[in-house]
Amino acid sequence: MKISVRGEDVFASTGGRAFDPSGDVVLFIHGSGQNHLGFMLQHRFLANRGWQAITPDFPGHGQSQGTPLTSIEAMADWLAAFMEAANIGTAHIAGHSQGALVALELAARYGDKVRSATFIASALAIPVNDYLLGLAKDREPKAIKAMMDWGHGPTGHVHDHTMPGSSHMGLGSQLMASNTPGALYADLNACNSYHGGAEAAAKVTCPTLCILSGEDKMTPIKAGRQLHAMLKGALAEIPHSGHMSITEQPWEVTQPLRRFLEAQRAEA
Amino acid sequence: MADYKFDTLSLHAGQSPDGRFGSRAVPIHQTTSYVFQDTEQAAALFNMEIGGHIYTRLTNPTVAVLEQRLAALDGGVAAVATASGMSALFVTVLAICSGGDHVVASSQMYGANINLFQHTLSRYGIETTFVKPRVDEIEGAIRENTKMVFGEVIGNPGMDIMDVPAVAAVTKAAKVPLVIDATFNTPWMIKPIEMGANIVIHSLTKWMGGHGVALGGGVIDGGNFDWGATPGKFPTITEAHFGYQGVNLWEEFGPMAFATRVRTEGMMNAGPCMAPQNAFYILQGIETLPLRMERHMANTAKMLDFLTSHDQVSWVKHPALAQHPDHETALRLMPKGQGSIISMGVKGGRAAASAFIESVGLASHLANVGDAKTLVIHPGSTTHSHITAEAMEAAGLTDDLVRISVGLEDFDDIAADFTQALKAAGRAAPRMAAE
Repeated sequence: MKISVRGEDVFASTGGRAFDPSGDVVLFIHGSGQNHLGFMLQHRFLANRGWQAITPDFPGHGQSQGTPLTSIEAMADWLAAFMEAANIGTAHIAGHSQGALVALELAARYGDKVRSATFIASALAIPVNDYLLGLAKDREPKAIKAMMDWGHGPTGHVHDHTMPGSSHMGLGSQLMASNTPGALYADLNACNSYHGGAEAAAKVTCPTLCILSGEDKMTPIKAGRQLHAMLKGALAEIPHSGHMSITEQPWEVTQPLRRFLEAQRAEA
Repeated sequence: MADYKFDTLSLHAGQSPDGRFGSRAVPIHQTTSYVFQDTEQAAALFNMEIGGHIYTRLTNPTVAVLEQRLAALDGGVAAVATASGMSALFVTVLAICSGGDHVVASSQMYGANINLFQHTLSRYGIETTFVKPRVDEIEGAIRENTKMVFGEVIGNPGMDIMDVPAVAAVTKAAKVPLVIDATFNTPWMIKPIEMGANIVIHSLTKWMGGHGVALGGGVIDGGNFDWGATPGKFPTITEAHFGYQGVNLWEEFGPMAFATRVRTEGMMNAGPCMAPQNAFYILQGIETLPLRMERHMANTAKMLDFLTSHDQVSWVKHPALAQHPDHETALRLMPKGQGSIISMGVKGGRAAASAFIESVGLASHLANVGDAKTLVIHPGSTTHSHITAEAMEAAGLTDDLVRISVGLEDFDDIAADFTQALKAAGRAAPRMAAE
């Protein structure tokens, strides 16, 4: 669906179902250089199980208009505005990578809007090396290729996809290339500049779940465990996945997320 | 971990070793259907919420390995394997075009390709304008209702070369997808998607399989076409797909929307699926594709030397030859080799051509190309015989034309066979002319 946020058209996928903001909303938050398609299987699965799944494209990403945002804090504020515009009072939030940093900041800043928070392939900080930042700034196609290489584990590299006939590397590359030029650099720079993870984590009061990947080269599992240690919530680890667990091992992400959300629903 | 290179992908792409038994070769899943864990999993599979298999007409684990290998080798986002190259083309058109739409297609193509557009799709209101595969002719033929531009990189059998990057620039500006039949070149020679094409189709029966034991086709979605750029122009991709739970493929599957339409319509409703056994055979062929292509190119170079200096051969057409009108383009697009199909004219016209074909011993007279074995045929009376006289003339199909698919034999043996067959052609020509 398309809605206007701060005067700009924003696209949000609702998993192919009509969206009711008064229901149990699950708000997915995409990562650097990604868009709603990264969560294509998770949001379709939940949307067809009675959850109001919604995944917006950040400005300048996917099918959303606008200029890419330049800080994690700005992205959290923008998401709060998006929730207002979509009439979402409260939501369970789930972010991947950079999206998890945004989720952390959103849960810290807007605790009254967040019912639970799930952090996938993330950490308290995601420093980006100068080489990748430089590529993203000046040679985006090479940066995309590097991210595909580093972001995927063994199954991604042999193009062994759970969606028959699909290619992780090909699909991931085209997904990133479809964003506004410069979006990837803006995202990676925002990640690299974000240092408020520990402070934000200390403010999070909602139930949390961390889903970490054993072969994650971009946010190593050790760093993810530090995030989990601060949040003291639930934990799921996927041993043989790379950073792009949401597409590389989608069902291994969906299962713990679903169990966690159902537990929250039962408690409520 | 760096991304694997072409030769490695030819062997490994699409397959992780089987987790239960550790099978290193791709297992043949000779099954029509798959036991669901429970009703929820079944529903999730049907609604494309999870990966997996439902019914072999849609997907199959062995076929999926092949599809993923095709996507990896051609640089696509997804691929769909089909029963034949022709069905790959048919499901491609089906996914994009409806009655009232228009296609621009090369006139220099395989006869069945031309037939499909000229005589079959026209009955369903899809009109085709055939043009030479030249940038200006293609650009001039594109209309407001044009939904795809289609051609072969190397025309069959005329050997015309489409300048893919130049044509892709035109189709991109016109916001029309460029569909390339890449059968004659394989991704070893050229990857059209990297040059701006949007969809690639193959007859896998040819060089990709290479053994002549299994029919197959493949559709590879480049994922690089913006189907939403012209609102309403591609409703099969960007609007609700009522044949499949009303899903909006462009919104839900983005770069792989086209491939998903092929699977959820072409395979679902028309059903030209590949047999798992054939997928296995073709995978065995692809494992040696880089090695075979090198040998095809080497033998083709020797064959060109042989034919161009032979008295009984009146002309030879191949993009590697300097006199070929597209020679420079061919070298630029395909520096590793310009294909292993050669057209030649046998002195003495059709009678001599027939005598040559009937006299070869080692080479085989049959309707195929890209086999490991050397093949010969007279296209005007066989593969292209069903197209009109005008189309035949436009395609350069002369009476004396013999098409050669150069194989992998020791070249000395092929040369010996051709020497005796050309001698027989020389003897037949004056006799038949007299009769």
